[in-house]
Amino acid sequence: MMLARVADSLYWIGRYVERAEHMCRLSDVMLNATLDRTDAAVQVARIALAAVGDKNVDKASSPYDAAFALALDRQDPGSITSSLALARENARQVRDQITTETWERLNLIYLRMTGPGAAKAFADGSSAFLHDIIADLHLFRGAADATMSHGEGWRFLLLGMYLERAELIGRLLKVCFGDARRGPIDDHFALTGLLRMSCALEPYLRRYTADVQPRLILEFLMFDEDFPRSIRFSTARIEEHLAAASRSAGHAGPERLAGRLKARLQYADVENFDLGTASTILNTVLDECAAIHTSVYETFVAYSLEMRLPA
Amino acid sequence: MAERSIDTDPGRSSLSGAALPYNEMQTAEGAIRQHYLALDRRVATLEPEDLAERQKTLERFFLLQGITFTVYGAESSTERIIPTDLLPRIIPAEEWARIEAGLTQRLCALNMFLADIYGEQQILMDGVVPRELVLSAPSYRREMQNLFVPHQAYANVCGSDLIRQPNGEFAVLEDNLRVPSGVSYMLANREASRRTFPGTFRAAGVRAIDRYPDLLLTTLKSMAADWRPNPQVVVLTPGVYNSAYYEHAYLARLMGVPLVEGRDLVVHDNMVYMRTTTGLRRIDVIYRRVDDDFIDPLTFRRDSGLGAAGLFNAYRAGNVVICNAPGTGVADDKAVYAYVPEIIRYYLGEDAILPNIETYLCREPAQLSHVLANLDKLVVKAVGASGGYGMLIGPHASAKERADFGDAIKADPENYIAQPTIQLSTAPCLMDGEIEPRHVDLRPFILSGDKIVVTPGALTRVALKKGSLVVNSSQGGGSKDTWILAADPKDAQL
Repeated sequence: MMLARVADSLYWIGRYVERAEHMCRLSDVMLNATLDRTDAAVQVARIALAAVGDKNVDKASSPYDAAFALALDRQDPGSITSSLALARENARQVRDQITTETWERLNLIYLRMTGPGAAKAFADGSSAFLHDIIADLHLFRGAADATMSHGEGWRFLLLGMYLERAELIGRLLKVCFGDARRGPIDDHFALTGLLRMSCALEPYLRRYTADVQPRLILEFLMFDEDFPRSIRFSTARIEEHLAAASRSAGHAGPERLAGRLKARLQYADVENFDLGTASTILNTVLDECAAIHTSVYETFVAYSLEMRLPA
Repeated sequence: MAERSIDTDPGRSSLSGAALPYNEMQTAEGAIRQHYLALDRRVATLEPEDLAERQKTLERFFLLQGITFTVYGAESSTERIIPTDLLPRIIPAEEWARIEAGLTQRLCALNMFLADIYGEQQILMDGVVPRELVLSAPSYRREMQNLFVPHQAYANVCGSDLIRQPNGEFAVLEDNLRVPSGVSYMLANREASRRTFPGTFRAAGVRAIDRYPDLLLTTLKSMAADWRPNPQVVVLTPGVYNSAYYEHAYLARLMGVPLVEGRDLVVHDNMVYMRTTTGLRRIDVIYRRVDDDFIDPLTFRRDSGLGAAGLFNAYRAGNVVICNAPGTGVADDKAVYAYVPEIIRYYLGEDAILPNIETYLCREPAQLSHVLANLDKLVVKAVGASGGYGMLIGPHASAKERADFGDAIKADPENYIAQPTIQLSTAPCLMDGEIEPRHVDLRPFILSGDKIVVTPGALTRVALKKGSLVVNSSQGGGSKDTWILAADPKDAQL
C-alpha cells in the first residue's frame, strides 16, 4: 500500500536521475570529441544536441558553451542541474519513503551541482566534473538497491528509470539512424561516439570485437538481452516492475502494454532487419513508451474516484 | 582550571540594574556547577581548531540530512541549516523531576479545562475564568462544543516553553497546545551531539529520548484503539514548502506511517480515505500539522487547500480522530495563560508546581494603567500573535516605539498582555570560535493520550545575538542539545 502521490514522485525521481546521467554522458562525449578531430566533433555535437531535443543546431559549433549550458543552466528545464533539482525536490516530498542513505546520496549531488563552486569546478575540469556526477548517481542507485525494501516504492523508482532509459536510447538511435534527410551516420568516430553516449563501447567490443558497424550497433542497443542499456533489457524490466505493481492493484492496463512491447523486442526478427525496419521499430518503441507512461498515470495516480469508492 | 574552559562571564547583562541572569554552568561565585564539570574538563582539552572542526562536522550532518530551510535569492537559492550549537545544555535529575511533575500536572489540568469549556462550562459558571475571555477568543471553536474526545486528551502533543528565572527556578512562559514543532531538532541535535562528545556523553548518564516516535505513535493509536483494533495513523502536512516540513517527514518516517497532504485525502460518507496506488484506504487517526483554520474548507477557512473538505464532519461523526483536537488554542491563549494557576487549583485542588510569569491583563483597567506607566520595564505581547511577532520589549525599545505601542494598547486593550522583562538564563555557546554565554529557554514535549508522558529531553533554544532575549528561530534563534541526567547513570538507557 502506498500513496498515489508518493508512487508518482518515486517514478519521477527515477526518470530525472536517469535523464541526468544520460545527459552527463552526452556532454562528456561531446566535449571529448572536440579534442580530436574538428569535423567529426561537430557531427558528434550535433547528435548529442539533437538527442536532448535541442533544435538549435548552431550550438554544435561551440560545444563547450553548449555543454556548460546543458550542465548548469538552471533556467533551462532540460539541463542536468534542473533534472537533479527536480529529482531532489521529488525526493524531499517523499522523504519518509526513501532511506536516509538513498536520500543523502541524492542530496549531496544536488548540493554540489547548485553550490557556489559548481561553475568553477566545471571550468577547471569538465570531464572530471561530469564523471563525478555519474559516479555519484551510481552510488545513489546502489544505495537505493542496497537499503530500500524491494517493494512497491522501489518498483516505481525503477519503473521510472527504465522507461526513461528506453526512451532516451530510442531517441538517440533515431537521431543517428532515422533521419531520412541526412541518412544514417557511418563515420567510425561518430559511431564510437554513439557507443560511448550509451555507455556501451566496452560491452559492444567484447560482443562484436572492434568491428564497428551501424547494423551491429543497432542490434546491440535494441535487441541485446543482457546489456542493461539495450531497449530490450529496459522493456523487460518495465514489464517486470509493472506486473508486480499491477498484481497488487488488480489493474492490468499498463502491464498489458508493457508485455506487448517487451514481446516485440524479444521476438523481433533480428537476423533479417535493416536500417529501414529499425526506424519503424524505434518509432513504435517511442510511441508505446509514451502510452505506458500515460497508462501508469491513469491507473495508479490520477484514477477516477467513482470507480474506487467503497460500496 | 585550564585556561580555555567554558568560562562564561556572569556579569554581562544587557540591563543595568535588573537581576543578573541565572548562569546554567557557573555559580555566582564563579565555580563550575557539579553537572557541568565533566564537559568543562573535556572542552578545556580541546584546541580551538578542534572545536571548530567539530562544529563543522555538526553542520555538515544537518546539511546532509536535509534539515534545512531554503533562502531564495535572485540568482540561485541556497540551503541554510538552522543554527545549531555544539555545547549541550545540561539539566540534573532532581531539577528535571520537578519539571516533569509540573508539566504533567499542567497538561492534565489544561485538558480538563478544554473538556469543560467544550462541555458543561462549569468553570465559567463558577466565575474562575471570565466567560467572555474564553468565548470571544479567536481560538475558541464553537464547532467543538459537546464533541466526544477520547480520554479527554485534547492536546495530544504539547510543547511548553519554560524559562529559568534569575533565582534559578523554572517557570512556564507559554503553553503550546496547537501544533507545536521542534521535536525533530531535539532528536537531530541529540544524534549530532552523541558524535561530538561521545566519551562525555557516555559517562554523564544522559537519559535516552530515541523512543519519542514510538511513544508518539502509541499515543496517537490510543485515541482510536477503543473502536478500531489496529488504527491507521497518518501525519498530515501542509506540504514541502512549509518551514517545518522536514519535521513532518521525519516523524512519519520514524513512526512508519504515511505522510499525507490534503490532496491525498478523500472524505466520503463521513469516512476519511487516502488515495493509494491500489485505491482508497481508510484513515483512523490524523496527526495533523496544519492549523485549525486550514483543516477543512467546509467548516473553517473556505480558501484553504491544505485540508480535506468534509474532514470535520467525519470527526464529529466519530469516524476519525484529529490530533491535536481543533480548538485547543483557547487554552494556550496569552490572556487565558494568566489564569492557569487558578485552573490547576480548580480541577486538581493543587498549587501549580511550575509557576507562571507574572502577567498583567490590559483588559483590566487597573492593570492597564500600571502597564502604560511602566512600558519601559515590561514586555508587551499581542494576544493573538506568536513566534516573537507583535511584541514590545520595553527596555530595548525607543521612546517613540513605546509611545506608538502605548497608543495601540489603548486602542484595543483586550488584545494585549504584559509581563516583566525576565532575564532568561544563559548557557555557554560556541560563537565564532569563542565560548560565550547566550540566553536560552527550554521546550520539553509532553504527550497525552490514554496517559500523559513527558519525554526526558527538550529543545533548548538559543538567542544567538549577544544580549538578545528572543529565541524564536524566525527571529535569529538557534538551538542546542539538552542532556537530562539520570539520577543513577546506570538507568539512563532504560
